[in-house]
Amino acid sequence: MPGAQVVPGGGGGKTEKYVDNKRKDDIRMANIAAGKAVADAVRTSLGPRGMDKMLSTANGDVIITNDGATILNKMEVLQPAAKMLVELSKSQDIVAGDGTTTVVVIAGALLRQCQILLGMGVHPTVISDALHKASEKAVEVLTAMAVPVELSDRESLVKSASTSLNSKVVSQYSSLLAPLAVDAVLNVIDPARPNSVDLRDVKVLKKLGGTVDDTEMIKGLVFDHKASHTAGGPTRVENAKIGLIQFQVSPPKTDIEQNVIVSDYTQMDRILKEERNYILGMIKKIKATGCNVLLVQKSILRDAVTDLSLHYLAKAKILVVRDVEREDIEFISKTLNCLPIANIEHFRAEKLGQADLVEEIHVGSGSVSSKCMLSSNVVRSFVILHGTSYTRMNSLYSALHRVRRLTSALVQIVKATGIKNMGRTTTILVKGSNALVLDEAERSLHDALCVVRCLVNKRFLIAGGGAPEIEVSRQLGAWAKTLHGMESYCVRAFAEALEVSGVPIVGMLLTVVPYTLAENAGLNPISIVTELRNRHANGEVNTGINIRKGQITNILEENVVQPLLVSTSAISLATECVRMILKIDDIVSTR
Amino acid sequence: MQGPDRPQRERGRRRAVRKRARTGGKLRAQIAAWFPPSGYRVHSKLVAAGRKEAGNILKEEALEEKGERARMAAFIGAMAIADLVKSTLGPKGMDKILQSTGRGHSVTVTNDGATILKSLHVDNPAAKVLVDISKVQDDEVGDGTTSVVVLAGELLREAEKLISQKIHPMTIIAGYRMAVECARNVLESRARNNKDDPEKFRTDLVNIAMTTLSSKILSQDKEYFANLAVDAVLRLKGSGNLEAIQIIKKCGGSLKDSFLDEGFILDKKIGVGQPKRIENANILVANTAMDTDKIKIYGARVRVDAMSKVADIEAAEKNKMKAKVEKIIAHGINCFVNRQLIYNFPEELFADAGVMAIEHADFDGIERLALVTGGEITSTFDNPEAVKLGHCKLIEEIMIGEDKLIHFSGVELGQACTIVLRGASSHVLDEAERSLHDALCVLASTVKDSRVVWGGGWPEMLMARQVDELARKTPGKKSLAIESFAAALRAIPSIICDNAGLDSADLVSQLRAAHFSDDSTAGVDVITGAVGDMEARGIYEAFKVKQAVLLSATEASEMILRVDEIIKCAPRQREDRM
Repeated sequence: MPGAQVVPGGGGGKTEKYVDNKRKDDIRMANIAAGKAVADAVRTSLGPRGMDKMLSTANGDVIITNDGATILNKMEVLQPAAKMLVELSKSQDIVAGDGTTTVVVIAGALLRQCQILLGMGVHPTVISDALHKASEKAVEVLTAMAVPVELSDRESLVKSASTSLNSKVVSQYSSLLAPLAVDAVLNVIDPARPNSVDLRDVKVLKKLGGTVDDTEMIKGLVFDHKASHTAGGPTRVENAKIGLIQFQVSPPKTDIEQNVIVSDYTQMDRILKEERNYILGMIKKIKATGCNVLLVQKSILRDAVTDLSLHYLAKAKILVVRDVEREDIEFISKTLNCLPIANIEHFRAEKLGQADLVEEIHVGSGSVSSKCMLSSNVVRSFVILHGTSYTRMNSLYSALHRVRRLTSALVQIVKATGIKNMGRTTTILVKGSNALVLDEAERSLHDALCVVRCLVNKRFLIAGGGAPEIEVSRQLGAWAKTLHGMESYCVRAFAEALEVSGVPIVGMLLTVVPYTLAENAGLNPISIVTELRNRHANGEVNTGINIRKGQITNILEENVVQPLLVSTSAISLATECVRMILKIDDIVSTR
Repeated sequence: MQGPDRPQRERGRRRAVRKRARTGGKLRAQIAAWFPPSGYRVHSKLVAAGRKEAGNILKEEALEEKGERARMAAFIGAMAIADLVKSTLGPKGMDKILQSTGRGHSVTVTNDGATILKSLHVDNPAAKVLVDISKVQDDEVGDGTTSVVVLAGELLREAEKLISQKIHPMTIIAGYRMAVECARNVLESRARNNKDDPEKFRTDLVNIAMTTLSSKILSQDKEYFANLAVDAVLRLKGSGNLEAIQIIKKCGGSLKDSFLDEGFILDKKIGVGQPKRIENANILVANTAMDTDKIKIYGARVRVDAMSKVADIEAAEKNKMKAKVEKIIAHGINCFVNRQLIYNFPEELFADAGVMAIEHADFDGIERLALVTGGEITSTFDNPEAVKLGHCKLIEEIMIGEDKLIHFSGVELGQACTIVLRGASSHVLDEAERSLHDALCVLASTVKDSRVVWGGGWPEMLMARQVDELARKTPGKKSLAIESFAAALRAIPSIICDNAGLDSADLVSQLRAAHFSDDSTAGVDVITGAVGDMEARGIYEAFKVKQAVLLSATEASEMILRVDEIIKCAPRQREDRM
């Protein structure tokens, strides 16, 4: 349509100047409101007494979590500014792995203060600049507060990991999980590159059954699946020689299309025999190297193993684990110190990995699966007896069958221990009584692992429990006053007044963290925060809220510590995001 | 057959009539608002009468605008576009959220005029012209994409006033032409060239980069990024080949953690069991199938009568692949980069030979890699002597954030480098990339044409003054147009001030007074909110950018001014509309 309605926001072509600040302000306010709403959604999950959220996804799954990044990720927000906050939480997850709730809460508080400043008529870019300065100063203050930590100081590492775990559902198990996380990370540090950890070297496996108490770290390799023993192969091999193969133990298949022409009955027999011989030949070659455990990569082109080859492998006393994913090959070959073999011709003894023991073990109780099996059989027989309403019965039967398959697949795993020349990898086997707990335990463990990783990257600790935030707030307040005096810094009084007004606000709002902590714990936030501020003013820098005792104590003595990186990145990322939101004055819909 | 068809057509016609009435009504109302009611109404009636007679010439549903109406439609569209991006101009300009209405509702936050305009739904032909000049500006010089649109918008706004004074569009165009010539000359005469003094030239470049970046997301760290961009561009040694500068975005960290790396970084993985570090690497860059080398004849198949023969064929296929790998290795390489997948079998062969094999490097990746390592992309491996290998001193795996990447250092093309951007979120990173791209483009064009001018509204005020003087010397109606041109130029600094919340009328008049002296370097310093010496404050801009803004904005407005009829073709009938 030609004419005026070309673009939203482009008003008429009046000859006088086109000034439409109303709309810009509206957009900015709408963005801020959306951002605040997102922050409010996760606010209550901050801290050790923070509450969890139950999320129900579009396809009916239920997730219970305390992890800010997960909550926001599943929220499916549509408003663009709200989306930016979700992204913010994601990037905190990438940078530090923990503090994903904190970062959003800080951003929400910043937005709230910005709204006040905007209401006073301060130009957004001025606020934005002041925020930047203040966040740099805050990082400086935090760094000054930090205590260096050595990797050999296992206790400190465990402490910081348990601080992170304390706010989760699995907090009762923090005494178990925290050392586990520390050991896992320390185990995979490459001496050549002591400052970086690749968390992909830590594999976390979830298994239903048992409780979180049964979670263990395994120095070895664990496979999600059971060994293939349909043909009665071994399930326990000592002094294992493990071959990791990427070819298939099945009848040959060419890339070019081929037809085998059978013209008479005798030829059929011959072909079957040939097929058998072909497979037998392969297995003999495998056996000749002394290999007694075979890990077979999944193949989309053809069957990785057939019933026939499984039968022969079982005869040859070779334990087979099939359906190994291609992505896992690198991890496995690193762990077992073996090389993947892509062709039978290259199957040589030196490419094998060695382990003392490879066995299939049962995790948790098998009773669930047997019960399901039983009931599915009952249903089936019922269906057979009474031919009526077959379809309904059949769906019930298939559901039960699915449950049975699921549980039986979940309870058996293959474990390799005593690996010779094991690579720097670790496997953690997480157990839980139901899928929800299990998932949350895994997320919490991930956070704890990230915390330890942060400490490896940047070896500084600071106190937790709101202590650093109060300290930053206090120091920024003081700093803002000195700024006021520095006439030379700020070129004009106007700009200067604004800058200064911005700075203590950042300081003030950082108290949002201790405030929320106290509030979530059912304490009186105002009295707590004011007392904290008082104690900090008296020089007790490490005083924080002790949630467990419900009072204010020296938080370092209480072993509540967290990595510096988590706090600094939370502040700088939140500021960056808020500054971006502030600068937006229009939303344009595009292709 | 005809029965059900007729109401359909009837409805279509009715719809078209209604549409015409709607748009016509709106336009008429607007035109009535702008112009004195006498005279024009008669004219519009005439137009309507004309259309009635010509109705049969055009296809049904085709729209036609004529004369004043066409011109007005064009003006409105162009000015609306200019107004949309106006608020992003200058160091205190604001950003826009671009929300896609397509799938996923993806969100972009940007300050870049070209990006905003590129993604708009535009239906107005004149608006499209402006979108196009912004695109051209982006391709030619990379920066000033907003300025060019805003200037064109202002020129049209001035032209509209002149037209309401009954000055013929052609007279306006003639006046604009004289004015632009004069403006260009004075700008050229005042431009400074520091090409011969490398040190000063570098300062110029840094200043230009800082000016460009100051309006973007990188403004807080502009010094850091300006130096980074200048380093990157100076490495190119005047070739201006921005292809050799690769920008990699990695979420996490803050913008300050971004760095310039001398070498090339490939965001891929090294195959299993292969060396992770190679010194003095000979690299073969290839685009060949390393999964299965199939016969590409449709329907080809083999018939066999025994399993063993199938196995033979499979073995033959394997051997063929093996031979291929051996041929590749025979090139004397220790690193092989393929655009396509490398399957397990060849991967293992490479691992056995101690060759690093990198699979699935995308088109962009291998083309750049071939460029920077000095190799050629190869697809056949029969004559090794004809293949140009790439070389580099060291290939190793590095970690950025959580990801492992492959780093090629000491590459053949010493000009190549990689800028790794870090930032809080993908929005920040995307915007940072756009900003940096602008800066790099401007720098690259400045390296070619090293003339610089001052920024902060200085060029506009300078040109406006000269154009004003020209107007005084020129007799005839043209002088009015020339005066208008000067006014349009002066609107740019006033918009920059307005965006910063400053008193534009006051500052622009101060600036005009300051420019009365011949060698003034005065401009608006938006950060401090005062008129100041641009040279001392280091606010520089590239001459080429300013010139391109001036010329293409004038050309675009001239084009829109010439319009006196808009014909919109009938939309193609959809078959499925039953």
